[in-house]
Amino acid sequence: MIIQLQQFYKKLLQLETFLLVAAFLIVLIIAVTQILLRNLFDTGIVWADTFLRISVLWLGMMGALVASRNNNHIAMNLGQKYLSDKNLIIVKVIIYFFTSLVCFIISWYGLNLVQMEYEEAGIAFANIPVWSTVSIIPIAFLIIALRYLSLSVLLLSGQPVNDNPVMK
Amino acid sequence: MLFSIILILLLFAWFGAPLFTLILSVAIVGFTFQEIDLTVIPIELYRLTNTPLLLALPLFTFTGYLMGASNTSHRLVRLSSALLGWLPSNLVLVTLFASALFTAFTGATGVTIVALGALLYPALKESGYTEKFSLGLITTSGSLGLLLPPSLPLILYVVIVQQMDLDQTISIEQVFLAGILPTLLMIMTLFAWSLWQTRHKPIKRESFSTHEFLSALRESIWEIPLPFIVLGGIFSGVFAVSEAAAVTALYIIIVEVFIYKEVTLKQLPKIIEESMTMIGAILLILASALAMTNYFIDAEIPFLLFEWIQSHISSQVTFLLLLNLFLLLLGALLDIFSAIVIMSPLIVPIAINFGVHPVHLGIIFLANMQLGYLTPPVGMNLFIASYRFNKSIFDVYRSTIVMMLLLLGCVLLITYIPAISLFFIDS
Repeated sequence: MIIQLQQFYKKLLQLETFLLVAAFLIVLIIAVTQILLRNLFDTGIVWADTFLRISVLWLGMMGALVASRNNNHIAMNLGQKYLSDKNLIIVKVIIYFFTSLVCFIISWYGLNLVQMEYEEAGIAFANIPVWSTVSIIPIAFLIIALRYLSLSVLLLSGQPVNDNPVMK
Repeated sequence: MLFSIILILLLFAWFGAPLFTLILSVAIVGFTFQEIDLTVIPIELYRLTNTPLLLALPLFTFTGYLMGASNTSHRLVRLSSALLGWLPSNLVLVTLFASALFTAFTGATGVTIVALGALLYPALKESGYTEKFSLGLITTSGSLGLLLPPSLPLILYVVIVQQMDLDQTISIEQVFLAGILPTLLMIMTLFAWSLWQTRHKPIKRESFSTHEFLSALRESIWEIPLPFIVLGGIFSGVFAVSEAAAVTALYIIIVEVFIYKEVTLKQLPKIIEESMTMIGAILLILASALAMTNYFIDAEIPFLLFEWIQSHISSQVTFLLLLNLFLLLLGALLDIFSAIVIMSPLIVPIAINFGVHPVHLGIIFLANMQLGYLTPPVGMNLFIASYRFNKSIFDVYRSTIVMMLLLLGCVLLITYIPAISLFFIDS
């Protein structure tokens, strides 16, 4: 059962990576197509500019999701090296739990915003309603929150976690 | 109450909580105190979609990662050597110019030290420079180029300022132009220092070889158009910056994957994933900072801060001096992206009130941050060089300190002589 769950989770991670890569390529293709159409044929895709602006948010949020897999977010982290192993775990549990809490709050109010946009029924571009473009905010923050919660719980129960920040 | 919350957040920062959560916490706490509904925070996050310029960030980042994964650095060094080899201290010039160009495109100073340093460090030692000088030069050159287009920090600064609803707006073209002379000043200062260092024992010059030049030119013929696509496209008005970024990204895929074949199609998703993870981390901080800034403006904090500063400082010169000190400290503590995103919304309005041009301020900001990479004890590039070249961190301190002080002199000149930054800009 646990092994199947792990495999399922691994598939989910692959899907996440796939979506991120696909989103990047789609953005690139649409951006270049738009430039070609405008400069060579003096025309363009009507919704392309709005699409591209919104896609930056999506790319950013999806990238942030991948970064949160191993706590790969930008942090100052000057103090951890002075802690003993035992204290380090306690500090990490607190910090990850705190991160998770903040993300849950943002996710909750993000959902609120999606509801508000749903009731307003505005259109972002083409036939795409605004609420669906906003939905990445609650979704991404919920997943980030769950990831940090699981890091925190795993550490608390003495499990090894892979959370070394490697920022370039 | 408020005091203890700030203390806890600072403690969390010290112990490595992700920066974006700390920024968001400030917004959450602040808006709650003001009894404003927290839905305002996701609304602010969504504001990322208001800026067309922002698309340039993921695209240029990807381009930088892809160039880092192929042999661009080799070709760049070979071509610069062929071009500049007949000059005195030629290899120093090659190091300075190649590093600046590479950093401008990759936006990652650490990558420049690792990629170019691997080629240039042994070459410098071989041609007669001392180990100390070579190590210092490689480490110092890594951060040159942050002020040259299309460097990501420059774009990020403009994105933030454009979001700010100021009387004085700035354009990306202005900031791109503004960085040129300051960068040349720094390069020439380091070059002069190297000439002075080797005055008793001049390093031999190569004679210019047309054959080698042509051969190096042929080798890098596909990458030479890059600066022209980016700069030519932007300044001639053919492309907006984000369009230039898209064309560059596609072009570099074609060149590295299909012409040079140094990156396989199979490796491409990994490079996309890595670069987008990095940009995701940056955009998340940017979006969070937009929310926090909105709270700051609601609470009139930039105004209060200005009032407070003005009651202690009246002259622009004193303000700039304190700004330099503050930014140097900031640069040693925070990475450049977070520092720009968090601090410029506070500093820009104050600086404008002291009569500093926002374009000039951007250059001052980044020049200080660049120095922060080299400032002991915690400057990041010092650690990267120590790790990469297997030297103790104290060796790296010793070998960079003079050049770092020379650059500090340049930064002061750049700060107090606005014309160095604003020379090409008619406002």
